[in-house]
Order: sequence, then structure tokens, then C-alpha cells
Amino acid sequence: MSAPPYDPMRDGDLQKEFTDQWSNAAYGCFSSGHKFCREVCPVMQVTRNENHTPTAFHANVVAMEQGNLTIADVAEDYIHCTQCGACELRCPNTLFTGDFYRNRTQTVKLVKAMRALAVDSGIEQPGWKRWVEATVDRKNEPVIEVPIEQEHVADWAQGLNLPIGGETIMFVDCEAAFYRTSVARSTAEVLLQAGLHFGLMREQWCCGGPSAEMGYRDHARAFAEHNVADWRAVGAKKIIAIDPHDYIAFTEDYPSYFGDDYDFEILYITELVAELIREGRLTFSQPIERVVTYHDPCRLNKRKGIHQSPRDILRAIPGVTFKDVDHVTQWSYCSGAGAGLGIERPEITAEISRRRVARAAELEVDTLVSACVWSERPLSKAGAEQGLDVMDLMELVAQACGLDGHGVGDMRVPARAALADAGPVQHGLAHAAALHEEAAQAGDDGRMAR
Amino acid sequence: MVGFRLSAQKPPEARRINDDVIMRFDHVYEVAPEKMQIFPQQDIPAWDTLRIVASRWDHLDWMHAHWADSILSVEELEAEEP
Amino acid sequence: MTTAVALSDPVLDELRAILGEEGVLPNLSARYNRTRVPSPFPVHRWADYVPDVVVLPRTAEQVSAVVKLANRYRIPVVPRAGGTGLADGAVPLRRGIIVDVKLMNRIHDIDLVDRTVTVGPGINMLKLNEELRKYGVIYPDDPASYPCSLVGGRIGTSGWSLIGGRYGHTRDLVISMQWVLPNGEIVEIGDGGGRKIRKSSTGYSLKHLFMGSQGTLGICTEATLELVPRPEVEFSPFFAYPDFQTAYESTGALTKSGLATLAGVVLFDEWKLRYLRRDDEAYIPQPDNVRAVVATAMYGTKDEVTPAAKRLMKIARETGGNYLGDEISQGDWAARHDRYATPLHGRLRNGQVVPMSWHCEDAALNYSVLPQVRLEWHAIAEKYIDRYGVFDDWGMFFYTNAAHKPWGDYLVEIDIGIWEQKLNDENWAAWVQCKREITEVTLKYGGSITACHGSTREGDAEYVPAEMGGGFEVMKAIKRSLDPNNIMNPGKNELDRAYEDGGFAAGEG
Repeated sequence: MSAPPYDPMRDGDLQKEFTDQWSNAAYGCFSSGHKFCREVCPVMQVTRNENHTPTAFHANVVAMEQGNLTIADVAEDYIHCTQCGACELRCPNTLFTGDFYRNRTQTVKLVKAMRALAVDSGIEQPGWKRWVEATVDRKNEPVIEVPIEQEHVADWAQGLNLPIGGETIMFVDCEAAFYRTSVARSTAEVLLQAGLHFGLMREQWCCGGPSAEMGYRDHARAFAEHNVADWRAVGAKKIIAIDPHDYIAFTEDYPSYFGDDYDFEILYITELVAELIREGRLTFSQPIERVVTYHDPCRLNKRKGIHQSPRDILRAIPGVTFKDVDHVTQWSYCSGAGAGLGIERPEITAEISRRRVARAAELEVDTLVSACVWSERPLSKAGAEQGLDVMDLMELVAQACGLDGHGVGDMRVPARAALADAGPVQHGLAHAAALHEEAAQAGDDGRMAR
Repeated sequence: MVGFRLSAQKPPEARRINDDVIMRFDHVYEVAPEKMQIFPQQDIPAWDTLRIVASRWDHLDWMHAHWADSILSVEELEAEEP
Repeated sequence: MTTAVALSDPVLDELRAILGEEGVLPNLSARYNRTRVPSPFPVHRWADYVPDVVVLPRTAEQVSAVVKLANRYRIPVVPRAGGTGLADGAVPLRRGIIVDVKLMNRIHDIDLVDRTVTVGPGINMLKLNEELRKYGVIYPDDPASYPCSLVGGRIGTSGWSLIGGRYGHTRDLVISMQWVLPNGEIVEIGDGGGRKIRKSSTGYSLKHLFMGSQGTLGICTEATLELVPRPEVEFSPFFAYPDFQTAYESTGALTKSGLATLAGVVLFDEWKLRYLRRDDEAYIPQPDNVRAVVATAMYGTKDEVTPAAKRLMKIARETGGNYLGDEISQGDWAARHDRYATPLHGRLRNGQVVPMSWHCEDAALNYSVLPQVRLEWHAIAEKYIDRYGVFDDWGMFFYTNAAHKPWGDYLVEIDIGIWEQKLNDENWAAWVQCKREITEVTLKYGGSITACHGSTREGDAEYVPAEMGGGFEVMKAIKRSLDPNNIMNPGKNELDRAYEDGGFAAGEG
């Protein structure tokens, strides 16, 4: 899979094609240059390096068009993005005039395209290269040193007797399938309790989103083609996404691959559960005595505008004291876990998460609730340092429904309070935790959250 | 509930507001597409247009709350005793 | 040129010794991306302005060491904060070292007793106010770039605030500063002495000398700022008028009302209304007889604002204003805190939408001359639009300009779009000539070239000696005395003239 080495002569053509395609978009930013993106950017808040601004990401295209910069000069700058979408939403060209002109700032798309240009030009980032190679090899992301193999992709569902196939499929993200399995388990148990009928895929591969985010377009497409073929083969009509990254892949990437033939209905789990609560199909039996705040996952809040349903769910859970921070303030929050930043720049991800958890701690809560399993690994690490539990919203919902929700084969380092009430440590947990620690210490080995 | 469907993302038919402006979604003005011959429009799905509009109003509300505890409206002002 | 020296290994090694490996960015993308600001830029000649190296200091001591080094090697130094300026203060004219202060963004001290906050120059006002909210105070410096400009740039340009009529502008809100002089010395600068003293008669009032010095007299490394009580109430009615003259007279009546809570009054002319009708949801549905608008804003306690609001409504209505309604008033006012132009406002004569960069004229002029200046400026713009086809007239705003006494003079803004994709030497020269003609009108009517952006760009800078008159000799003497090697942002404000009789100018050695 390795691309040929960078060749300025050959890659001149690739670059020309790229700048032709992105020139107008680049001028849309360059000609304003207002930089309303800068202070909401989670990476920029940490590095304060103007190279990492969406303004620079666009301006580079103009400089490349002029022949003043090449992909080799800028490729590394584009690592510094979680594709959280804050910049493109906060950009006046989107927020104030994007709907009017049917033309908005598309920084995320640009970053993905520039990363792809880098890969196509033979300029690869070592961590991403290893990650994608491992994903291609195992069909799922190498989330940790656990058996990432197809035969284990549904281990988390042991004993739930979920069917394979059917009209509605629950797609379980790699991180939830292999690492924080309590998210998958909790979600499935909650949906079963509400009386929903759903099944799993015959063979679930990675959604392909991370490969696309890191610039490996062909691999991303191959994953998507496999998954869609699997959905079609089992007669699926509706897909439940339990992670915002999958939701983005299924509602943005997949439509771009398959066009009008893509006729699935994609449901996001918080929207679905909020409705089940509203309809009285899901009721809570166990008060949860926690003081919580909610972390708006970037891809839900900033990129999809989904911020109400998670709050509705939290407010419906008995016993919970919910100290909210509004979703607009949270446009500038992030866990730092997105788009491979944690693989190539784990120290920046850790710092973004540390700051996010510190903001939660200021509210004097005991729990930070998220709705994105990928955010929960770096947030949990920062939470452990600052004495705060980090939970997934579905874990909380499962507990409030009186369900077990404990992940079979859960591989994460348990959070402080979770340890206290989790009962006996799961088989293999201690070993996996030790491996995780080693991986974390190694720092750049490509096994951190994406 | 109705989730995301690609087939539902095509914007409604436009109606003309004036020479330069059309409307597809209620209360959402758009440039007349013929004005965009030089700078091309994007294929923006319905959910995204609605997200931008909602975000704009959320942002403006946020900005008010950022600057002051409350907003005095003329309606409210003139409802008071003189 | 000093380029070769600036890029030589010994200089980079010395910079790394001062700032560490990560604090020195010699790579091309770092330099290209710290070249320009949002104001019109000759993008076709981008390469001519690229600096030699970028440094990211964290402390005043590091800034001081960099400036001392620059003096030894005679390398130009240009400070850069947000890079959101609407003149060219942060654009390097002679390459050199960019001192990018964004990492100096800490809050050092919040003093709720004496009501000050001390910050690094790299902090943004909105971010600062998010932190201050829990204390019930606010730092009320509110430009149209409020969510993205940084305190250092506000000081470098002597910025203007949308609500300055009530709370003052940057120069009124900055109490004192820590400053690295052009020779590298670190000094405290205030009205007199005393870090938290607002009014002093000791010695020269140096704060005002350095405020707005555009990087030509050194670099701000810390600032102590004013804290005011967070407003209980905001009131922001907008009024419509059938013609400019009525709106102009109403503006005069409103601004002279003497209402202490009145934070700002903004007059929009007919060109501005036509422009807003292009794409602004508040103005598209307005009937044809809405030809001019006056926006007002009040802030304060509820007990102050409520009676004042009644008086304001009375004045506006008695002078011909029709209230535009709560939704438009509140929505449009909230949008004014981050109101930089977006490129697709641009139109060709045939109505086609093209992306244009934004020139924002910001002359300071007295009330009496506004109608005449307006006609002459629009006529100039019209001439260039006709001849070159790459410009566009985006209308005019007239903002109250004085702190705490908003009745006398105005920040007068004509907004002009420039189609950057089509820039070449001919179009750029035309733009500069257009800008000069606009400036000449300002001076003819006894105004000042700039209320807040600075007189640093082509088309303004040439007229600084004319506007300053005998004061320009004082400027030159100060510049030459404080910056004998002309290393600080050389080429700006015509200050090279300070060295014409034998002084050495960096970048020309």
C-alpha cells in the first residue's frame, strides 16, 4: 500500500489538479482573512501556531497555485486538525452567508483533500500509515492490543442473542466493539429493553471514516463498499449509528460514494433514545445520584447540529443533577481525539482533553458525560488525573434502566467510581490495561484514540 | 422517528422573491442561482442549510447573553407604565 | 537587503538559544502565513512580503532578547498578534523577523478590588470575557473582530470599540503596559507611573505615545486592563428613514442626547442599504422607502437603561425614525460584534457574485462634513468601478467615535470590495490611487485619515506628514531617538524619513 516517493515533477500535475479544484474555495477564505475560526479551534487554542489555522489551510492553496509553496512544504501542518468542524461553522462565510449563497466554508473537506494529496504524492505520516495498514489488515481499527479480528467484532454482544441481519442494523464502532465495549453493550441492552428489533452485520468492517480523514481515500472507499454490500445482503433498511464518527461516514462519506443508490435510513442513537423516552417506550427505574455535565461531541454538535437530544435524555434521568454548558460555548471545546490527531500528536490530544476536563471540573460535577466513544478515551485519561468520571450517555441510560451494561471484554482502564461499582474485574482486563499503559507510554505507536 | 435519508436532502423547489433573491425553505433567503455563474454554488443538502440557519440564531442568542444579563425589547419597554 | 543575514545559521542558532527549537519557525509555510492581514493585499506579489523567520515568544525576556539580537544584526522586526487588522500594520515591508505573540495569552492577575485584569498581548477579548463572566465583570473592548482580534493588536492599532461611547476605546481601557523598547529594554508604560493608575500627571503621558504605534516603537508584552460591571441590560433599537438627510439629522439628535448609557450610534447610508439588501435576511424584505438606517445601543443597569431607552425612542421618532422591530434590531445588533465582510458580498456590474476582499475606510470626521464627504467618496468609488470592473461600492457607515461623549466626531467608513483573484500590477496601482483620492477628501474636510486601523498602508501612509504637520517632526525625532537602527517595523508611517539625513535604515543596508 505504500505510495511512491514524492516526485515534484509528477506531483506537479496532482497539485495542479488540486489547486484548480480548490482555488475558488481558497479565495473564499483568503479574501476575507478574518480568522473567526482561530479562537474556536481546539488545536489552535493549544499550539497558538498560525500554521494550524483554517485560514492558513486555505491560504496555502493560493500559495500553491502561485507556485510559492508545494505539498511538501505544508503537508505536516495539516496534521493539526481534529476535523471537529468548529472553524467552518463559526466562519461568517458559513454562519452568516453560507445558506444564502449555497456556498460555505468546507475546511474539513479541504483538510481531508490535502491529506489525500499528500498521501498520493508519497508524503505519509508514519503513525497514520501504520494505523491504516493495520486497519486494512484486520478490517477494524487497531484500537488496542486485543484480538482485533473479525471473529471477535461482536464479542461485546455475548449472551444478548442478537440476530444477524434484519431490517434494522446496529453498527458498532471499532472503539466500542473492541475497547470500551460497555458502550455497545449498554446501547444494545437499552434498545432491547425498549422493545426494538435490530440485528448485527454478518461481517462488520471499519466504517472507513478514519482512513478518509487521514487521506487514504481508496481504503476508505473499500471499507464503505464492503459495509454497504453487507447491509444490502441482509436486507437492512435502517442503520443505527452509535458513534458520531460513524454517523458522519454514513451521512456524508457514503452518499458521496454511492449517490442516489444509497437509500438507507441512518438513525443516530441519541435521537432515537430521546424519542423512545418521549414516547414512553423507555422508562427509568434507577435514580442516578450523580452531578454531571455534558460534553458535546464535535461531530454531533458542530458538524451535525445534534445537541438537544442528549440534553433531553440527561434531563429525563431521575436523580441526575445536570449542570449544562450551552452548545454554542462548546463550539470551542473538543476532546482532541478526532481525525487521527491523537495518533500523530498525542500530546496535543492529551492537552485538549485536559483542558476540556478542567472546564468540567470548574462546574463542581463528579461526572463528564459524552456521547462519542472516541472522545471518551482521552477524556477518561484526563478525568482520572483530575478526579472526574467520564461516562458515555448510553452507559448512564443503561444504569438508569437498571441494566447491567458492563462491557464483555472491556479493555479500558476503569474510571475511579466505575471501579468502585463495577464488581469483579472482567477477565483479561488487568492485562489489557497494562498493555494500554505501555502503549500510552510509547506515545506515538498508533494505538491511541483517533 | 425519521433519520437521515439521502433522498430527503434535495432542497424544495425555489420561489422567486425578487430579481436577485429566491426562497426554498420558509424564511431562508437564497441568492438567485443565475448570479453564481462565476463563483460556483455547492451541493448543500437540506440538513446542512437548516443547520446553518439554526446555528446562526443560536449564535446570535449566545452573543446577547455574552454581553448582558438580559435584553430589553421595545415591546417590553412600551408595555410598562409611562 | 538584509535577507541573507537574517536567514544565516548563526542568527537562527541564536534565536533558537533564546526561544528553544519550537519557538523558531524558519519554514516557508510559517512565513507565508504571517505575511498579510485581512485588508486588501497585492496577492499577486505575495512573495515580496514574506518575512525571513517567525518566532513565538512566551516571555517579555525572550522578546527583549530577540529585539537586542535584531539590533546587533540590523534585522527588521515586525510584531504580530491576531493578524486581523484592516490596515497593514502587521505586514512586513522589509522581511525580517516576525514576533508572533499568540502564545503570550495568559491571564496574569484579576483584581476585583481595584478592578483590573492583567493579561498577555496574545489573548482574545471574547476568550478573556468568558473567563471573567463568573466574576460579574467584563472588559468592554468590542471591535467588529471581537471574537478573533487580540489585545496586543488592539494596542498596536489603538483600536475602536463599537460600544466606546459608553465604555471608551482601547486607549481608554488599557491602563498600563509592559513594553519592550526598540533597544530591547523592558519598561512599564502608563499614563504616569503605577500599574493600575488610570489618571496621572507625572511626567509625559507615555501611554498615548505607544498606543497605536503599530510596532514602530517596540512590542507590548503585557497589559493591565479596565474591568467594568457586566451590563444588566442591553437595548439596541434600529430605526428606518426614507432618506439620508433625515437619518443624518436624527443621528445628530440622538448622539447629542447626553444619555450616559448610550454606547453607540451608527448611521447607514443608501448605498449601505442597497448593499445589505443583496444578501442580508434583515434587509431583503424591507420596503423600498427604507433608504437609511440608524442603529443605537445602550448598556447598563436596568434602572438606568429603562428611562433612557424611553427618551431615546422619543428622540428617534420625533426626528423621523421608524422602529424596525425587535427581531431585526436584536438580531442585527448581535451580529455587529463579529461583522467582518464576507467575500461573496461582492458583485460585478452585471450582478454576478465574485469573492472580494474588503477595504474598510475608517477616517475620523466631524459631524458637520459627513453629507459632503459621503457624496465625494461614492463618486470616487464609482469612477474606479467603471474603469476597472474589479471594485464594488459596499456603502457607508458613520459611527459615533468619541469615548463617553459621542456627539462630535465619527468613524466614517466606506467599504469597498476588491476582486483579489484579478489583481495585477495595474489593478493594484488603481486601487492605491483610489485610496489616495479618498484620503485627500478626508484631509480636505479637516479630518484624520484613520480613527482606528492605522495609517500604515499604501494610500494612507504618504499622507501622514501632511496630516500631522509640525507634529511629524516630533514623531521623527522620537522614532530616531528610540529606534536608532530603524529595526521596528521599518517602512511604516513614512518614518524612514526620520533617518534620511544619515541614519541607517534596516532593510536598506
